[in-house]
Amino acid sequence: MSVFKLEYRAYEGRVTPRWWRVGVLVRYGLAEAWSSRVTVGLFTLAMLPVLVDLVVIYLANNSVARMMVTPGKTFPLTIDAKFFLRVLSVQCWLGLVLNAWVAPRLVSFDLADNALPILLSHPVSRFGYVLGKLLSLFAILSLVTWVPCLLLFAYQAYISPQAWLSANVQVGFGLVAGSLLWIALVSMIGLALSSWVKWRMVATGVVFAAVFVPAGVGGVITGILRTRWGFLLNIPVMMTELWQRLLGSPTVMKSDIDLPTGAIAAVLAAGVAVCVAMLNARIRAREVVRG
Amino acid sequence: MTTNDLILFEDVSKFYGEVLGVNRVSLSLPPGVTTLVGPNGSGKSTLMNLMTGLVQPSSGRISVLGMTPGDPNAFFREVGYCTQFDSFPRGLTGWEFVFDSLLLHGMSGMDAHRLASEALARLGLTDAAYRKIAGYSKGMRQKVRLAQAVAHHPRVLVLDEPLNGLDPMARAESLALFEELSRQGMHLVISSHILDEVDRISDRVVLITGGYLVAQGDIHAVRREVRDKPMQVLIRCDRPELLASRMFTLNHCVEARLHADGGGVFLRTTDIDEFYRLLNGIATEGLVNIEAVAPADDDTQAIYQYLIGSEGGAS
Repeated sequence: MSVFKLEYRAYEGRVTPRWWRVGVLVRYGLAEAWSSRVTVGLFTLAMLPVLVDLVVIYLANNSVARMMVTPGKTFPLTIDAKFFLRVLSVQCWLGLVLNAWVAPRLVSFDLADNALPILLSHPVSRFGYVLGKLLSLFAILSLVTWVPCLLLFAYQAYISPQAWLSANVQVGFGLVAGSLLWIALVSMIGLALSSWVKWRMVATGVVFAAVFVPAGVGGVITGILRTRWGFLLNIPVMMTELWQRLLGSPTVMKSDIDLPTGAIAAVLAAGVAVCVAMLNARIRAREVVRG
Repeated sequence: MTTNDLILFEDVSKFYGEVLGVNRVSLSLPPGVTTLVGPNGSGKSTLMNLMTGLVQPSSGRISVLGMTPGDPNAFFREVGYCTQFDSFPRGLTGWEFVFDSLLLHGMSGMDAHRLASEALARLGLTDAAYRKIAGYSKGMRQKVRLAQAVAHHPRVLVLDEPLNGLDPMARAESLALFEELSRQGMHLVISSHILDEVDRISDRVVLITGGYLVAQGDIHAVRREVRDKPMQVLIRCDRPELLASRMFTLNHCVEARLHADGGGVFLRTTDIDEFYRLLNGIATEGLVNIEAVAPADDDTQAIYQYLIGSEGGAS
């Protein structure tokens, strides 16, 4: 039998705010993501179009350089909302590729390793855990979406006459807002699906499938029923429509699509809600055993 | 002792869908070492998960030192948990694992540094602290999990199979640590299959099988309550045959077995009080020179066999 001396002293020092502790999980997430060479490769790949766009902006604004590159010809590009719509689209789709690789690394490993009981037996809630993973993804995807887009926009604003910036302020806001919407959507899809698929490579495939399979189904619905509403299952179409409107760009798609912004927002919100429900069901300290 | 010093389970049930985790469990655990004993799948880990707030009860109420997991800041400051899973976030060194755990508990960098060093030294991992956990032996991984669980100075330590994978020396060190923490007034709740070793430091035992509480309390008291199993006593003496024949004159003595070395006898009795009274008489008569008397089956192992044994498929 123990003899209780009651000399044990619990820690009584100050503690940091709860939000601060999520930073540890963000650090874990970033370390996990960047520990893969594939992540570095995909990030490098995602930066290549930015370099090309940088050169294009430079040429478009520098008549001497333009004459050297295309002597005697008219330069085929103007830097406007449509140009930045293309930049945003390319970066966002490359961001999806990066997300499909990184998101499963953040969650699948923890689930496969049964690391959740260790993490959740700290004053970190399930929400805090998911928030940490989301912030990791947000940081990584930001590096290939709104940050380079905004830098290109800033460069264009810097080297062009001031009138250009005055006429295209909406483009700057659109680049950030469009990127943030995309990051929120794809990171939620990535984390939710990764939490249900323990095999990382399969999870990567499932993330792509979640984006493109409904688009195919929507296309079938549109074709058979001759209705534009089938496009509400088509994430690429919906996002392109949203990006166009956010940037104030002329339409680049068939005019008969023209989905209402409210309908697009409702479908995307519903998709995110499904992802939240999936995460809520799976991010637990214990697997629920059913007999 | 107030509820602020106890771990309390009040009529707690936990169902995973249609699967029973634990059913209508009521417990009151004071400081000291409590051992959870039961076969695999009996509900030990569910009890521990309920205690640490990792799962919520389907019904009933749990409080740990007067707190519930509803306030995780205060709750997890007092509770340390060492899971049975040999798993860690990937790529970490032992130091990073313990240090980050302290940061997650809300310690400042300076305090976390001090406490991590202290915990790793306590578990004898100082030299290996900066190596990747992936390169640790199983015993070292077990130790670093223990270090993580004790590092923030909790008052309640919940340890799921903490001796698994440890070599005899490391087991002895861990048991000494548990004993020391228990003597200081800490609550330790331990599940283990290595019953004879845990037995040495346990203050009380909780036996559970199939999600139902079978018995709880001081090990000797629980043994006395198992009346349908005659108690076995080993008596070391110079004339074990004579002692056995004298004891058999009583109808509550049901079995006698000579010790292998011929220097003692195991006797089973259904009335232990009467047994000791008679033994005193024999000793006073001087016919038999009695050297030692010790209960031979009032340990956790024996209680487990009697109460759960064949039913639970003891492991």
